[in-house]
Formats: sequence, C-alpha cells, structure tokens
Amino acid sequence: MSVTASFSAVDGLPDTEKNPGESENTYILRPIFQQRFRPSVVKDCIHAVLKQELANAEYSPEEMPQLTKRLSENIKDKLKEMGFDRYKMVVQVVIGEQRGEGVFMAARCFWDADTDNCTHDIFMNDSLFCVVAAFGCFYY
Amino acid sequence: MEPGKRRTKDDTWKADDLRKYLWAAQSAGPKEDKKHREKQPQKDLETDLPECREHRRRDPERDARCRDRAAEREKPHRLQDQDQDRHRDRRKDTRSRDREKPKEGHREQATAEKAPSRGKEREKGGHRARRDGLRQAAGCHNLLGWDAQGQPPDRPERRTQAVSKARPEEREPKGEEPEGGDEERERRYRERKNGEHRSRGAGSKKDETGSQHAENSGRNNGRDKDSRRKHGREEGALEWKLARRRGSEEAVEIGKEDADSENAGAGEHTAGFEDDFEDYEDDFEVCDGDEDSGLDALESAEMAEELPPARRREIEEIRKAIHAENERVGELSLKLLESPGQVERGRGAGPGANNSPSQTPVCGILVDFATASHRQKSRTQALKQKMRSTKLLRLIDLDFSFTFSLLDLPPVNEYDMYIRSFGKKNTKQAYVQCNEDHVERDVQTEEVETREVWTQHPGESAAVSGGSDRGSPGGAAVVPKVDTPRLCSFLRAACQVIAVLLEEDRVAAEPSWPPRAQDCTLPLSDGSVPFNTGLLFLQNRRVTCVHASQAQRRIVVSVHGLPGKASAPLLDSRHLLCVWDIWQPSGPQKVLLCESEVTCCCFSPCKAFLLFAGTAHGSVLVWDLREDARIHCSLKLSGCSWTFRTSTFSTDGVLTSVNHRSPLRAIEPVSASVCKRQSCVLSPFSAPEETSGLSFHIASLDESGVLNVWVRRPHARAWSVLSDPFSGQWSMLSSSELCAAEVFRLIPGGRIKLLHSTAVHLGGSLFHKGDEFWVSTQTLNVKFLPSDPDRFVVGTDMGLVCHGTRQERRVFPRLFRPQQQGVRPVRVNVVDFSPFGEPVFLAGCSDGSLRLHQLTAELPRLQWDHSTGGRAINGLHWSLTRPAMFLVWDDASCIYVWDLLESDLGPVAKQSVSPDRLVAMTVVGEAEKTRGSFLALVLARASGSVDVQYLRREWATPAGDERRRLRLLLQEAP
Repeated sequence: MSVTASFSAVDGLPDTEKNPGESENTYILRPIFQQRFRPSVVKDCIHAVLKQELANAEYSPEEMPQLTKRLSENIKDKLKEMGFDRYKMVVQVVIGEQRGEGVFMAARCFWDADTDNCTHDIFMNDSLFCVVAAFGCFYY
Repeated sequence: MEPGKRRTKDDTWKADDLRKYLWAAQSAGPKEDKKHREKQPQKDLETDLPECREHRRRDPERDARCRDRAAEREKPHRLQDQDQDRHRDRRKDTRSRDREKPKEGHREQATAEKAPSRGKEREKGGHRARRDGLRQAAGCHNLLGWDAQGQPPDRPERRTQAVSKARPEEREPKGEEPEGGDEERERRYRERKNGEHRSRGAGSKKDETGSQHAENSGRNNGRDKDSRRKHGREEGALEWKLARRRGSEEAVEIGKEDADSENAGAGEHTAGFEDDFEDYEDDFEVCDGDEDSGLDALESAEMAEELPPARRREIEEIRKAIHAENERVGELSLKLLESPGQVERGRGAGPGANNSPSQTPVCGILVDFATASHRQKSRTQALKQKMRSTKLLRLIDLDFSFTFSLLDLPPVNEYDMYIRSFGKKNTKQAYVQCNEDHVERDVQTEEVETREVWTQHPGESAAVSGGSDRGSPGGAAVVPKVDTPRLCSFLRAACQVIAVLLEEDRVAAEPSWPPRAQDCTLPLSDGSVPFNTGLLFLQNRRVTCVHASQAQRRIVVSVHGLPGKASAPLLDSRHLLCVWDIWQPSGPQKVLLCESEVTCCCFSPCKAFLLFAGTAHGSVLVWDLREDARIHCSLKLSGCSWTFRTSTFSTDGVLTSVNHRSPLRAIEPVSASVCKRQSCVLSPFSAPEETSGLSFHIASLDESGVLNVWVRRPHARAWSVLSDPFSGQWSMLSSSELCAAEVFRLIPGGRIKLLHSTAVHLGGSLFHKGDEFWVSTQTLNVKFLPSDPDRFVVGTDMGLVCHGTRQERRVFPRLFRPQQQGVRPVRVNVVDFSPFGEPVFLAGCSDGSLRLHQLTAELPRLQWDHSTGGRAINGLHWSLTRPAMFLVWDDASCIYVWDLLESDLGPVAKQSVSPDRLVAMTVVGEAEKTRGSFLALVLARASGSVDVQYLRREWATPAGDERRRLRLLLQEAP
C-alpha cells in the first residue's frame, strides 16, 4: 500500500500583515461563495483524473509510490487551478492491491466546519483500488 | 512535547485548551534560534510573554535549570575554550542537581524571601569566591565537556524547558541571593546605561556577558557547595554522554539544537523577568552606588525595552550592523580556512542541519552567524503566524468532523474468490440484451393477451356478444392493407373466368343436356351452343329480338315477349330481356323486366353496362347493369334465386312534349368521339365517363319520323324515391311536373337518367315538300355513319333510304334510291353499314332486293333483286371478321351467305333453318384476334329457343388483302 499526501500552501500572508506598522488585519472569516470548496466539483475533478490515469493500471509494488505521488500532485495542481481562493489543499492518495482483503479507511478532521470541507473518490479495478481524499482548509 | 497529554485528550477539545496547546507549539519555534538571540528585536520578546506565563506554573521543578540556561546563553561565544568547557560543565551540574533536588530550590527561595536585601553585597562577593574555586575544580573534566555538554538527555522536554525558564529565573535569584539584589542591580544598570550604552555598543556588551557568565556560574556553583558529592556522579554521566555522542551523529545534532533552544529561551526569560518584576521595583528602594559595571547583554536588552522607540531602533540598527559584519567575517573565514567540502557542508546545512559547527568547532562559530538570519526570519514568520492564529482563534470555533468513511472494502469470502477466479471458466457469452429500459412500464415482459368472455347466464355488458374483438393484432394489421377496389375488380374478373370454366365443365359432364344440340347445328357452322331458354320464366315466351353488343361481342341480349300461358304470376304481364354471355349459355347474366313491349334495344357503345330499349309505347328505357342486385326484386324460381331488374330510368310519362308518340322502330347509340362538340353544349353535366371516351348519345326513331337524341346523365342518389318496381304506370304525370316526374321515373338507387337533347323531324328535313308520297311514309330504321355520327341514313317504307344530319344540314345525296325508277311501296327493312369503315351500306328490302350503296351516289353500286327468290329480307348483317362478307336471312328462315370477293352475283351459301322457324338473328364475332377470331350467328327460333351457330372457319377467317380487293371491286363495279 502506498500513501502519499500533497500539501499546498496559500500564496502568503496578506500585505498588511507584512507591514508591522499597521494593525489592520485582512482576515476573511468566510470564503466567497463562488470560491467555496465544493465537494462535488472536486470529486468530479478527482474522478476525471483517476479515470484518465488509472484506466489500464495494474498493481505493481515498484511503481505505486511514484504513481501515488504523481496522482496526488496532479490532483492538487488541478484543484489549485480551480480557484478555491485562500484554501489550503491536502490531497491524500492511497493505492492498494486487490487481493480480496478487507480494507477500511476513515478520516476525521479537526476544522472549522463552516469553511473547510473534504471529499473523496474511489477508483477500483481488478487489480487495485485507489482512494483519493481531498481536504480543503480555509486560510482565513 | 506532551505526548501523554495529547493522547488522553478526547474529541472534546475546548477552545482554551487548544489555544494553550497552540501557544506551546508556537513557543517551539524559538528552538531554531541560535546564540545570537540577543540581537532579536524587543518586540519579539514581548510577544513571548504570554507563553512564559502560561507555563510558569506547570514546570516549577525545572525552574532552576532554565535559569541556568539563561545564564549560559549570555555567555559570549568567543570565550576561551576553557571558559566554555567550564561553563557547560557547570550547566550540566546545575541541571542534574536540579533534578535531584527540586526541593532545594524551594527552600532556598524561602530563605531568599527572608533574607534582607542588605546582605546582598556580601553574598555576592562570596559567590565570586566560590565560583572561582569551583571553576578550577570543574575545569578538569570540562575539557571533555565541550562536546558532551551538547547532549542533554531530555530532548522531548527541551522546548518546554525553554519556554518555562522565566519562572525559575524569578525564583532562583531570590533563593541564592536576595531578590532585591538582582533588582537593584538591574535598576542601577538601567539608569546608568541610559547615559552610556550607546557609546559602549556591542563590544562592552560582550565583556559584560563574560562577567555575567562568571557571576552566574559562580552563583550556581555556590549553590552547589553543600552538594559537592554530586560531582563524582556527574563525571560518570558525562562519560556516558560522551560515549553516546561518539556513537551517534544524530545525538550531536540534537545537542546542538538543545543549545540553540536554550539560547532562545534566554530571551524569553529576560523578558518575563523584566515584566514580572516590575511590581517589585516599586517595593525596593535601592541605591545605585554599589552597582558593579559587569552587566550582561541581556540586561542591556531589557534596558532597551524601556527606552523610547527611537533609541530602540538605533539599537536595532546597531545589532543588525554587527550581525552583518559577523556574517561577512564568517563567510570570509569559511572560505579561507575550511576545505571546500566543509564549506559546502556548512553552507548547505541551512537552519535545519546544524551538524557542521559541532564537527568543525572553529568554523562552526562562523556558520552560526550565517544560519542565524534564517532562524530569525523563520522565527519572525512564526511569530506573525502565531499572532494571527491567536487573533483568529478568538473569532472562530474549531470542531471535530464526524468520521468520514473513505473506503469500506469488505473482505472477499472464499466462495466469491473462487467464483471470481474460476467461476467463469467454461462459460461463454450467449446472449446480450441491449434494449433500452422501458421505464414507464411496471412490468417489462411480453404483453399478456387477454380476452373478455361472459360465462354467467343473465348476460351483462358487451362481453356477452363477443366484446370488442381486438385480440388479433396480426389480422388487424393485414386487413387495412387490402386495396378493396382492386380486389373487387380482380374478383369480378376472376369470377367470370371461373364461371366460364365451370360452365364448360358442366357442358362436358352433361353431353346430353341440350337434346337437340347436334341437330341444331347448321351445315354452315362448325358447332352450336343453345342458350338455356328452358328456364321457368322464359318458357313459352317468344323471342322478338336479339341484339349483340358492339363493344363486347360475346354479350347478347334477347327480348322475350309475353308468355303464352301463365307460369309465374308476377312476371306474366311483363316483357323480359335476358343478357347472355355466349360462353355461359346455361343461364342469362341478367334478367330485365319491362312493362311494355320492347321493339328495339341496344347496348352502350364502349362498355356493355347500359342497356337501352325502345318500346311500342314510345318510351325509352335504360337499365344500368352495374346496379346492385339488392335494389331489385328477387324471385325464387325452381330452386334458383333470380334478380329481375326494372329499368333504371324510363321516359314514360315524362318529357311528353318531346317524347315519342309512335312505337319506336330503332334505337342506336351515337358514338361519343364525334358528338362531343354537341354534348358540351347540350349537357352541362359532364360526367367523368364523358370525358374519358364513354360519352355517347342515344338516338331513338319512331315510326312517325321523329328522331330523338338523348343525353345520358349520372344522377345523384339523393334523388331516390320509394316506389314499387312492380307498381303500375307513371303516365298520369303531367308535363308541368317534369322534374318530379324525372325523379319518379328513376328507380331508387339508380344513377342514370336520360335527358332529351334534340329532336329531328325527318318529315320536314328529309323529304321535299313537294313529295307527294310523304304523307304516309313510315321510317323503319336508322343507322348512323360510323365515320361521321352526325350523319345517318333512314330506311323508309317507300323503298328509299333517306340521308340526313342531326343539324338538318343539307347533305348529298339526299336520298338513296333503288335502281328501279318510281316510287314503290317497298319497305327498306334493314340498313347496315360496313363495320370496317368502308363508305358503303347495305339495304335489304321487303321485295327481296338487296342494294349496296355508296354514300356518294344516289343510286346503288350493286343491286341484287332476286337473290332470295322474292322473299322479303328480314335481316342483314355485315360480317364482323371479313369485310367482303355479309349474311342475310329472309322471312322464309333461310340464311344466305354472301362473299363479294368470291361472287358478286349471288350468295355463296344458302341454308334454310327449319322446322323451327327463324324469328331473329344477330351476328357476334371477334375480329380483332385473327388467330382466335370467330363468327357466330345467334338465332332466335319461333319456339322461343336461342342458339349460337359458329360459322365455319373459311367464313370466319379473313383473307390477306380483303379490304383492298373489296375496294377495287366497288370501284370496278358497273
């Protein structure tokens, strides 16, 4: 089983915080509605990537680490292009071999439920299963 | 970092706890700072305060050690090795001592509180003395300790120690030396420094830190004086640490980090120190005079904190300048002194990897400056973020999400695994269903065939009578595709063929049926077929006339008179007409009823579906043979059902002004093609049949010389009036009720009626006024020219044949005369035009003379006066197959066959019909098909029987150029 997580940080601090002389902050407690992390859209994105990348994939222990890395980076980049402003993205990719074993994966988040969200998607074929979980944390 | 605490926490972290936790985490940031911590801006020190306060309570037992570290940080880095060794050794001593005897601190603290500030100076002096002594004592093992000191065993607690230094610092001094002593010293320093610290700069600070270090170490060691026995033990510990350091490189790194964190903690310590003790400053009024000049850099930083911002900035600039200088020097020396590999290692180490200083002690000092900037930057960043989070956490609430189940893949049981791997062996795909789902259907199966049937006795609903019979979709799909008119026409034609075949079969099966059949065959003919006139309704009826259709040569109509004795009560008073097909002699096709005696009849010229008849009463009757049998009377006679058709329309009683008043002598169809120009004017009701060539007129001639032309007109069915077909006459209708009478004369359901077109009074047009014989002249028959239907010839009883037109134009010759001069009472019984288009006609007269006239000459081309031996000629017919042949019969029942090509002097054959006298004769034949052509005579006998005599083939089959030879004959004739 191969696990890779990709993180993406937001661009940086707002300008006002770089200027110590000013005490005004630029906190945005709630994201703009259009830029809110939408699980369905993200899920579609993930699904598209998975379908494209794993269409004819076979499980091989040597290649899976690179594959998970590539997938996570790929998905993360795609998510960043989708314009979830001020969101920090965490993409976790797990690929495991299908040998008939039982697998249970769960995630739990400590977050601000108003702004943060997550989604996941599963791809399965005869030889492997792939679980992608994407978490979006709002950077206030 | 408090792993146990973290584990015990539940989902229910409170915001406060989280904040504490985050602060603790943030405070870990300073760990990366190095020994240049004193150059950090004052502002950062202030932000450190809250965490210091937070942790002060938690870790009282570590206070002493923390303070020691603070002191150690203040030690300048460029001290002599020995000094460093000694210092570190001392620090280790202190640390171990603190762990072993936490209570000692408390005790000391208690004593410090009691101790008066006055004893401060004295104690300080003692401290120094003790410190010097100790330094020498510790020096022996500190030679090893330079490296060993970098490996404190308490790595997990490292940060906590660092952040919790303020508290011990506030207490320990109280224990060791009077609390007020520190305070006073600080105050003194501050006051003095207000004036001088600018000029002293960093250089003096280093000196001061050196002295401060000495003082602190002395202080600590002094505190250890009563526990000197520990040194032995510590030496053992050092030995152990050293060994471990040698064993692992990692340990060295962490040790270095530890030192860094201690340095970082120092700043916090001083800030906390300064902050917390502000209260105490008010309590102690201290004189400044005895303050020594050795003040550490920490205190100078504290002083700067109280300076106005402008000065603070100046100090900051100075520090930066120093730092930059150090960096430059460090880089330079690195390049000069170190080998390239070392430089690379030291440079590439960055803030995270601090192993280079420990491995190359000389250069390590310089590298520290280089990495310090990184540390400072990252620390600045961390502080900013921490502040940000502090503010933000006040605004938001974090909570735990429920647990997302990302994947729940149950284990495959053995059976499924087996099936998955082996279950599909020996199977193949046999069927694919690819229809779309029929979503609106509940049940996706074949439609159930249902049929409603009623089984109970008192019937209800429509199911009793069969219900709606929609059960057979296949039949319903086929039936509408049937082209009904086409099927009907096919059936009609097929029925005729089948009927003929059946007829022939029956004839063949019953050779003896017509008993006289062979007897009747005349010598002229190859064979004969008698019509079955033995039917009940035809018995005892005389045949008065037979007529053949011009269009359909095998259709013959026979006119039967009143029966001699009653046989069928309904029919006895009526005349009958029978339409025969000569191929079906077993019975008539149609049987027509007529009230009055029929004197002449004819068929419609193109298709024999209309039959016209003239009566002795002067009326013209029309039968539409296409009419449905149901609108006519049907009688069951001798086991057979016969339909007796009454006339569709009759001119009886209508059109009285123009109708005939004398018995009709002849009725003739006038071909349409030439009459068209008139019919367009005369009949505005042009029917489709007229335009398609079926248009024709009917001309009827009565004895008085009135020639009426009638226009046939289709009639709407709406004009039907109920009337009994067997009821009596309609003659009482007056002329004023013409329209109504027209309607009444139409049978219900009939579609044909006649309109009067023109009337030609031959008396005025054909004969000269001066002709004396005209008064009693009768017109006997009329024939229209086949080439010009406008013109006609009329036979009279004066031996003359009149020539006229319907427009009463003058034509030449006006009369066709016999060769004998003078007027004789000779009836021209028959006039017949050649059917082959030759402009000649034959006229048979009652005196037995036979004349062949050309239309252009008044006198006949040929005249045979004695061919019949003086017997009156009753009938005359041109052959239908041979242009030069004609047939004549006289009133002696003798048939003469003329062939002009063979002999123009007399008949080539003569056959007397006896004993059954001939009363009527007509000729049927098919001339179109030379191979199958036939010529037959239909003979009506006096007994009432009718038979067909097929003439011999030499008369039926035409010769090659017969018409040309006939023409020559006509021209050469004298």
